Amino acid sequence: MTKITVNGRELEVDASKPLIAACDTAGIDVPRYCYHPGLEPVGSCRICQVEVSEGGRPPRVMAACRTQVSEGMVVNTEAAVAHDARRECLEFLLKNHPLDCPICDKAGECTLQDYSFQEQQAAGRSTEPRATLEKRVDLGEVIMLDQERCILCTRCVRFQEEVTKKPELTNAGLASNSYITTFAGRPLTGNYQGNLADVCPVGALTLKPFRFEARVWNLEKSSSTCAECSRGCSISVEVLRRGDVKRIRPVFNPDVNQWWMCDTGRFSFPKVNDAERLTGGLIASGDDLMGVTTGEAIRHAATVLTGTSKSALFASPFLTVEEAAEVKILGDSMGADLLFISPAANDLKDDLLHTGDPCPNRKGLEQAGFRAISAADAATMITGLDAAVLVGERILKLFAGHNLGTSKLVTFDTAACLASGVEACIAIPFYVEKAGTWINVDGNVGLLTIARPAPASVAPLERTLGELTTAMARSGAGV
Amino acid sequence: MSGFETYLTSRMTGPDSHTLASYKKHGGYVALERALKEMQPAEVTESVKASGLRGRGGAGFPTGLKWTFMPDPAKDPRSRYLAINADESEPGTCKDRVIMDEDPHGLLEGILLACYAMKCEASYIYVRGEYRHQYDRTVAALEEARAAGLVGKNILGSGFDCEIYMHKGAGAYICGEETGMMESLEGKRGHPRPKPPFPAGFGLWGQPTTVNNVETIFNVPFIVDKGPEWYRSMGVESSPGNFLVGISGNVNKPGVYEAPLGTNAKVLLEADHFAGGMTEGRKLKAWFTGGSSTGMMPGETVDVGMDHDSVKAAGTMLGTAAMIMLDDTQCVVRAMQIIARFYDHETCGQCSQCREGCQWLHQIFKRIEEGQGRDGDIDLLTSIGNGMAPGKTICALADAAAIPAHLMVKHFRADLEEHIRDGGCKINKTGKCAAGHSHKAPATEKAEAQA
Repeated sequence: MTKITVNGRELEVDASKPLIAACDTAGIDVPRYCYHPGLEPVGSCRICQVEVSEGGRPPRVMAACRTQVSEGMVVNTEAAVAHDARRECLEFLLKNHPLDCPICDKAGECTLQDYSFQEQQAAGRSTEPRATLEKRVDLGEVIMLDQERCILCTRCVRFQEEVTKKPELTNAGLASNSYITTFAGRPLTGNYQGNLADVCPVGALTLKPFRFEARVWNLEKSSSTCAECSRGCSISVEVLRRGDVKRIRPVFNPDVNQWWMCDTGRFSFPKVNDAERLTGGLIASGDDLMGVTTGEAIRHAATVLTGTSKSALFASPFLTVEEAAEVKILGDSMGADLLFISPAANDLKDDLLHTGDPCPNRKGLEQAGFRAISAADAATMITGLDAAVLVGERILKLFAGHNLGTSKLVTFDTAACLASGVEACIAIPFYVEKAGTWINVDGNVGLLTIARPAPASVAPLERTLGELTTAMARSGAGV
Repeated sequence: MSGFETYLTSRMTGPDSHTLASYKKHGGYVALERALKEMQPAEVTESVKASGLRGRGGAGFPTGLKWTFMPDPAKDPRSRYLAINADESEPGTCKDRVIMDEDPHGLLEGILLACYAMKCEASYIYVRGEYRHQYDRTVAALEEARAAGLVGKNILGSGFDCEIYMHKGAGAYICGEETGMMESLEGKRGHPRPKPPFPAGFGLWGQPTTVNNVETIFNVPFIVDKGPEWYRSMGVESSPGNFLVGISGNVNKPGVYEAPLGTNAKVLLEADHFAGGMTEGRKLKAWFTGGSSTGMMPGETVDVGMDHDSVKAAGTMLGTAAMIMLDDTQCVVRAMQIIARFYDHETCGQCSQCREGCQWLHQIFKRIEEGQGRDGDIDLLTSIGNGMAPGKTICALADAAAIPAHLMVKHFRADLEEHIRDGGCKINKTGKCAAGHSHKAPATEKAEAQA
């Protein structure tokens, strides 16, 4: 550890990291464009200039991202000369910038805006015509590039080279005609393209599914955990006006996903924006299903289940640890084995994050005493039973394509069950609408928070399950 | 004749001067043989250090001292390289071209001596893409030397191995910056690397590397052959030896001349054995001391010794000693605009200030030249220059672009003001300069005469 002084504060910092990282750990904000803690520093944007004095020499303005800390170094990030240098740098960066903030998706979370505001560098002196470059360069399925907005920080180039090891991006051209492109204009490939829009400090790389969808200041952001594999990346779920989830972005988590996430998880949000979702309850009525309140559906389910001798319970791998505890109580009262449906590993597994295992809480369920079973085996079991309870988000999708016979079914899912033996369907919230915990493949706990309230008629699963357990006890006791 | 000893051009005597036979006739490779047999590598370095040789690539850094920055091979077993900067792209500079054309073996012998001194296993010569002829000459010389057992394994039976590779650039000025050149050699875009780490610790492919200019290395065999005392007898105390000075512009005899460092620029301009004076006896309006990056100085300042410290004291740099002389019929604003356009075109575009600043400077000089100048432009130029340099970017290209702009404002403010006031360049508007000479393109003139 090395002792340095930053803005009058004495810090003990890691000498292997650049000065800007030392400032970060002390919570001292230094502007940056090309620097990203997850990428090799190149020191090209020059916005991170701070005043540094080493070895008793007179202070100099230096780029914090390329400055190695040394014992006794004295740093002033707020020195007038540092502010001047940053203002000069901003004026240069904005010289050819199109200033199309009113139609830019990045506006509101753009560091060009932030630092211009922070350094009070609003007006540039250039009256020269601004550069005109391509504003819509299609870089594949995920990314759209606006070359005019680009400030050539090369974070995207380095992300592709260093993180995904797919060096598909480069900067071409020379001088003020430089631009980011792919070789021969080929589309980007891979499952991590969405991160390019995150690392881009300006509005040059935008996500196609998010283009012109929302102003970022209207998004309510909640931290949560990704549901798409057992990695359980920390994410920010971003909801527009209590309605649709518009965007999912990774949140830095040193133990799980660093700064990144895969596109499978990032673009999974349409699954929770289902307009056709079940709200309330459904019970069998003749050959059809009849809409009822959740309470009525639970009472009907209790009657059905207490009237059968051979019944079982199948949990979804999306259950939280807390929901699993409630399922266990129900299962115990039914005398059923604790089973969860475990789909086969998919081919999305890679070296970076995706585990290929689609069960976000496999470890949590196993720790709670649940045993994995394939949907096919479960379906075979169900056909030999009188009744079965299917619990949890996406459980019906996991049974899709399997014949469940004519046994009586009680389901807790976000959708209605259409199998022939269905007796009662009870609505549950999506994972973005509930609080709880998942345990990932490495045993790290991922927290779910309520990013959006569930509809009033949709109660938390713990509650509906509890009500069913109580109702069954009453039913069984002949109350 | 000239009253001083010449050595740099001493072997450039005829049409065959580039051949091994001619080189050997002039005592070529004798220094190498002696060094390999009689001297320890450290002695060669000491000799160069004692000679006071300073780099001829522009910065004037002491060469021997640079060599000692290489890590001790006993402690650092990595491969070691010498990279030769032959990417001579500075406007006005053409000295290395003469060496590769006329005396490529001198360069090769210098490389071998330097590699022996620094224990480098290989050397790379990065040749400017446009220097096709010079490249071919050097390749031919390399093949001759290889055939004669002077390059490769066990050179002259001494057990010393050294390979020399040639690499052709693709015409980018920035690849003449030492770390940009290394990136380019590695097959990447010529984007200069931030320093530290310096090349001696982390150079080509991450290995210890020294980068030297062609002319610098060309001096080495002479120093090894005749000794540092002899070398110090020429030039001035702080900058010993002779140098190749390229004189271009409105002079009677433009060309590359050998002169001792410290020779007065006025002598270089006027003496008959040098440039022979301004054409038609015109007055010197402005001159570049050492290539475009050193900026324009007023004609009156030409009475200065051409060595690193004297030129620095005069307010600019010796650079590559490429003097560009402009007479009083030339428009300095136009000259500046051309220089600014060059940097706008050649900045690598990595650092914000340099990428945008070079463009901005060019745009303003162009406007002024074309009659669109405004009040406040001159102060803006100074302010842009201050935003770009010194030391605000990864490499010195921003400095190289900002210095000419600063010197322009400092020394030729009146010309800029006149352009802004009178709505542009008189030469552009009337087709004639102040002295009444036509500056129109010959084709335009012909067409007008016919009409």
